[in-house]
Amino acid sequence: MALMSRVGRRLRRIIQRPASVELTRYEALLPAIGEREAELEKLSDAELTDAAARLRETEAFGTEQYVELCALGREAARRALGERAFDVQLLGTMGLLSAHVVQMATGEGKTLAGALAAAGYALQGKRVHVISVNDYLARRDAEWMRPVYDLLGVSVGWVEPALGAAQRKDAYAAEVCYGAVSEIGFDVLRDRLVTRVEDLAQPEPEVAIVDEADSVLVDEARVPLVMAGSVDAGIADEEVATIVRRLRLGLHYETDPDGRNAWLTSAGASVVEKALGGVDLYGDDGADRLAAVNVALHAHALLTRDVDYLVRDGKVQLINASRGRVAELQRWPDGLQAAVEAKEQLPPSERGEILDSITVQALIARYPQVAGMTGTAVAVAEQLREFYKLEVAVIPPNTPNIRQDRPDRIFSTPGRKLRAIVEEIRTVHENGRPILVGTQDVAESEELAEKLAKADLPCVVLNARNDAEEAAIIAEAGTYDAITVSTQMAGRGTDIRLGGADGADRERVAELGGLHVIGTARYPSSRLDDQLRGRAGRQGDPGSSVFFASLNDELVLANAPDVPEGIEADPETGEITDPAAHRQINHAQRVAEGVDLEIHRNTWRYTRLIEHQRAELLEHRDEVLRTDLARTLLAEEQPGRCEELAESVGEETLTRVCREILLYHLDQLWADHLGYLGNVRETIHLRALAKEQPLDEFHRAAIPEFHKIRAEALKRSAKTLTEASVTEDGVDLAAAGVRRPTSTWTYLVQDNPFDSDAEQALKKVRGMLRKKRT
Amino acid sequence: MLSAFRSALATPDLRKKILFTLMIVAVYRIGAVMPAPGVSYPNVQACQAQLQDQSFFSLLNLFSGGALLQLSIFATGIMPYITASIIVQLLTVVIPRFEELKKEGQAGQGKLTQYTRYLTIALAILQATGIIALADRGGLFGECSQPVLPDNSVYTLALTVLTMTAGTAVMMWLGELITERGVGNGMSLLIFLNIAARIPAEGGNILNNQGGLVFFFVCLLGLAIIASVIFVEQGQRRIPVQYAKRMIGRRMYGGTSTYLPIKVNQAGVIPVIFASSLLYLPNLIGSLIGDQNEASTWQRFLQTYLVDQSSWVHITLYFALIIFFTYFYITITFNVDERAEEMKKFGGFIPGIRPGRPTAEYLGFVLSRITLPGSIYLGIVAILPNFFLSITGQGNNQNFPFGGTAVLIMVGVGLDTVKQIESQLMQRNYEGFLR
Repeated sequence: MALMSRVGRRLRRIIQRPASVELTRYEALLPAIGEREAELEKLSDAELTDAAARLRETEAFGTEQYVELCALGREAARRALGERAFDVQLLGTMGLLSAHVVQMATGEGKTLAGALAAAGYALQGKRVHVISVNDYLARRDAEWMRPVYDLLGVSVGWVEPALGAAQRKDAYAAEVCYGAVSEIGFDVLRDRLVTRVEDLAQPEPEVAIVDEADSVLVDEARVPLVMAGSVDAGIADEEVATIVRRLRLGLHYETDPDGRNAWLTSAGASVVEKALGGVDLYGDDGADRLAAVNVALHAHALLTRDVDYLVRDGKVQLINASRGRVAELQRWPDGLQAAVEAKEQLPPSERGEILDSITVQALIARYPQVAGMTGTAVAVAEQLREFYKLEVAVIPPNTPNIRQDRPDRIFSTPGRKLRAIVEEIRTVHENGRPILVGTQDVAESEELAEKLAKADLPCVVLNARNDAEEAAIIAEAGTYDAITVSTQMAGRGTDIRLGGADGADRERVAELGGLHVIGTARYPSSRLDDQLRGRAGRQGDPGSSVFFASLNDELVLANAPDVPEGIEADPETGEITDPAAHRQINHAQRVAEGVDLEIHRNTWRYTRLIEHQRAELLEHRDEVLRTDLARTLLAEEQPGRCEELAESVGEETLTRVCREILLYHLDQLWADHLGYLGNVRETIHLRALAKEQPLDEFHRAAIPEFHKIRAEALKRSAKTLTEASVTEDGVDLAAAGVRRPTSTWTYLVQDNPFDSDAEQALKKVRGMLRKKRT
Repeated sequence: MLSAFRSALATPDLRKKILFTLMIVAVYRIGAVMPAPGVSYPNVQACQAQLQDQSFFSLLNLFSGGALLQLSIFATGIMPYITASIIVQLLTVVIPRFEELKKEGQAGQGKLTQYTRYLTIALAILQATGIIALADRGGLFGECSQPVLPDNSVYTLALTVLTMTAGTAVMMWLGELITERGVGNGMSLLIFLNIAARIPAEGGNILNNQGGLVFFFVCLLGLAIIASVIFVEQGQRRIPVQYAKRMIGRRMYGGTSTYLPIKVNQAGVIPVIFASSLLYLPNLIGSLIGDQNEASTWQRFLQTYLVDQSSWVHITLYFALIIFFTYFYITITFNVDERAEEMKKFGGFIPGIRPGRPTAEYLGFVLSRITLPGSIYLGIVAILPNFFLSITGQGNNQNFPFGGTAVLIMVGVGLDTVKQIESQLMQRNYEGFLR
């Protein structure tokens, strides 16, 4: 048996298909779970809890325990929620318990499957973090599932940004803790900066169950979570912003076709130099001004209001491109935020210094056991295996999917496409069938809404402007007569029931053909297309989906601009039926997927060393934090001063002071190190010119620098200790010229525009070398 | 240096990688001396002994590590793979479908690799058939009269061809295994191995024919050459570059690690190969059109001055050609305009020099100046063996293992591999080999 499955896996690898986990082992348990059902029904609630508690005592968690847990879970869910868990949900639970990523279609009840698995891990004595995509879902799921956990005798908590330190600690102390990926990540970062053991919020990580695993593990994996401390008020360079506003595209500056870079022409440079009072931008000391100009130009030429960001309450808010909603905690890095604020003539926000950062991937890697669930896992199976060593288990739907996916409709120009979309909506809407339209960005959703209003087709718009009501709106998208226009991925995690949230009109809507989903353009990955399609056809409901596309869509222009000639469009409607156009669009999507993967892989290669160094330094930091190592080390450096202080303030205070000082310097040096690495990273691609491996060269530059940190921290601490005035209350670090940041805040760096540049450049250089070598 | 080796071996997963690579190398070497079925081993040995002038197949033989003239199961070597990858690379320009695949990242590249493998097999069949046909007609070893393939029935010959083709496939696999699970680039390492494998034999030759003293000096000279090649290969000019795209704030970083490197020998080994191929032409033409017994005056002229590798005309011409090709090749490969344009786009500049045109001009200026010593160095390394023909025996400069293409390739691959090991070591916090 084992041999056979090994052979099978090899075979699958050979034909290069992502392997999926064999489910038969778990399917075989389903009858036993069913048999147990009748016995459990007779138990009282307390007896049910006792039965669950007995699971805690078993040493090994094997087949028998799986059966018992699933049976108990099914019974608990029936009592607490009035929902009897389907067989497929239990399969999902068992898939999660064996640390796989399970693929379950939308609306199949992932939340319950995940909760039962979390309870299963908790009953094995492990602490579980259920990681969601946003705070709303974390809280909703935790509250929704709480009765089930109560019946199983498992404690549950959740974290959200508003919680205070004590509540946070309580939440993490629960056996199962729900939280958004950013929230949990930020707590990790905060814990890395504490100076007292009792301030640590999170216990050691043990098990992570990741909801919407593809989104968290793949789409957001390369977005670093950043912890920043405010240094001072930001300086908005009004002067530069004003100058840049006068520049003209083509004459003073140019941009590249994919909208990633903007640069001054020599005419532009002269104009700016004159306006700034005759500085030499490219001289030895012009670099600061030049950086300001470049950043302002980026803000001016490449970032568009309402597409890339919103201005709300006098603040610039980023729009997360992959979710089409406001990204509350995101900011642009390195002065770009201030430049955008200057562009919009808003007061500058605080300028921060990056203290520490962690990528989602590294965050997940901290957990010894990881499982995940999502609606679209197979498409990213390769990446899950490569980056997380996770295998995918595909759970069949409870009732087969009968949604009709129609082929794409392609038009010659975006204008014609839009007209055809409005026409399509009108036809489908005629008899009251609900329609969900997925657009690419906020601006497009508004444009479409306007067109629909003109055509007398009222619609609800769901985009970044009103994400507070997101879940409520999306839940009503299946109502009779509804037209909902949303941005990509809005409302993930909320079901669309036919006939509205209460399902009152279900029959009537189902008869009309269920929900009709329209995509206004293909997304940069087929997985995102599938997510949108998946909004229709929930749990065997009827439904249909169609994507509209044009050869002038951004996807095609950015990734496969050389469209073959001779593609004929219908002169009247502009519709194209040539298969070459379909091929071109599929090709463009595959290019986009390839580029994304390459960026992800490269980012990971570079961050791996940083994570490694961070882990090593943290080990040292932890020792300093938990023992009196700092006191011992400093006593070696400054024996006289230490003795003197021990007498004046007492041994205990001295130990604390030593610890604080050393921790401060360690943290500060790490922040400096991060800055240094960022700087090296930027130009490292040039090393390929000398036929060197940029990654190796990066290591060569980074490692010696890292090894200086510990000695340097000790040296600086010794200096601080001699200079600072130490009293019985401790040490006044600010007076000694060193201070902790007054306030810390956290943010996700929006998909770093600079990093991807470096990647693009590296690829170009490599491509060139490869070409020439042959 | 030694302690670095020790720490490399003390790191468990690195040790595993190195041992794995050595194991593959051993497998490969065994295959390289194992005669293919149908080949008479004693007769091949006899013919090898008789062989005086290897020039015709010397380059191929060099790349196959002597396996070609042994008619071993790896006789076709990795040449088919190299050729196939060049062809597929070229096809990406010609065939739109290939171009699309190339752009599709990982998945598309995987498909291209697959095509390269198929093409390799096809080329290997061709080459193996060619070799067998040649050997069967007695053309491989010149005047040797011993039949190297005693049984020349179709079945036996087909079996031999099949074995050699399979040998190439296995080599390809071995190379990929090294890249994937060992250290260094598998294919380069196999070429390195082929060249290095000949050193002991050539050394033995010198020892037997010339005696211990000469042998000692040759060894000394060899070490000196290798050391100086390593020295020059590592030399580079570092042009400081600043990327003014971020407002970093109060911190300033020294410009020591942000630079654009230009190697002294930016062109690598290619100019030498170009030059020697070009110089080989007269020889080829001469042997194709003329009967050597009654050579015309100009043929004799060619023979004395161009074909004879110890003649001053040959050496001077060789040297001049290498310098020319170095400049030529660098002009093609290092496009200063493209570099300047790319730097401008991404916000980079050389302090004191304006982006665009001026930057391109500056880069061109530095490049052409640094290429002069680079090209002279290449020329010297390439012509060195020509002065030792009397020691290594008549005929071919490739026989001297410390000169020309051989040493350049060996040092190049060696440095790359060591650097990779070092980088992995450094990740585990050890000091490296190269300071």
